[in-house]
Amino acid sequence: MQDEKAFILELLNAKTQNEAFRKLLQLYQKPLYYHIRNMVLNHDDADDVLQNTIIKVFANLKNFKGDSKLYSWMYRIATNEAITFMQQRAKKQGISNEEAQQKAINELESDVFFDGEEIQLKLHKAIASLPEKQQLVFKMRYFEEIKYEEMSEILETSVGALKASYHIAVKKIQNFLNSH
Amino acid sequence: MDMKPFKLINKNKIKSGFKVPENYFEQLEAKMMEQIQVKNETKIVSIFYRKQLWISAIAAVFLLAIAIPVYFNMANKNNLDTTTIEMYLSQQQGINITELSKHLTDEDIVALEKNLSLNESNPDAVEDYLSESENLDYYINE
Repeated sequence: MQDEKAFILELLNAKTQNEAFRKLLQLYQKPLYYHIRNMVLNHDDADDVLQNTIIKVFANLKNFKGDSKLYSWMYRIATNEAITFMQQRAKKQGISNEEAQQKAINELESDVFFDGEEIQLKLHKAIASLPEKQQLVFKMRYFEEIKYEEMSEILETSVGALKASYHIAVKKIQNFLNSH
Repeated sequence: MDMKPFKLINKNKIKSGFKVPENYFEQLEAKMMEQIQVKNETKIVSIFYRKQLWISAIAAVFLLAIAIPVYFNMANKNNLDTTTIEMYLSQQQGINITELSKHLTDEDIVALEKNLSLNESNPDAVEDYLSESENLDYYINE
């Protein structure tokens, strides 16, 4: 975003805060939603997590130090919120994170907010077979098309490691799709 | 299988397939703006409460400023004067000489004796004292 410092000041100033926050929502609520949805899979859950994320962003704006970009800071909050949510969801049901994810994928078949194409469902199943970090990297690159540099800021991982992670993920998923 | 090996990275990417309810983002924006407004309002309320606190603090200081002198004035009025004590004692039937003497120390008695010059060199002192006293009749009758 252009002139991010000025925009952050607008967000912190009581007079300009409302309009600035509306602008922030218009810019980021959609990409943040899909980022969360790709992780939690279900719409209602994504909605909950997104709302918590937005509230947290708003509440912590005054603590935002500007060491990173506003964009990556928000993505980091969203990612953490989604991970925490998934852990709690599994814990509540007394099953492992992997089992909870499998369950969420199976529920996609009857989800009205899912296209329901076979290849899409298959892809989600393939992604779910990967380790957690690889899943995240794959989704952020393949679905969300986030640049490695930005992903590096969000996930606090080197670009090289992210690229390696993504290529391994792509190979595994292709193998999965070709063999299932 | 005769199918060509599947390639993920080509022109036609597979989409995630995730959809949202109609007008979801518009509604979410409105909802979130409302929530933030509510948060700002609570901030205003808290400032209002702070104002109230200041007003009550000032009121309390004024109240004390008025109450303290009034209290001390009333306390002064409570100081018993001699006439009141005499009146009290004279009306009190149970108080007699023995009772009174119980409250007098040896030094008090010596002081009284000196005052009245009650000693052998002046044997008429008692009589003199009694004759000077206005309440002589009263004491005799007792």
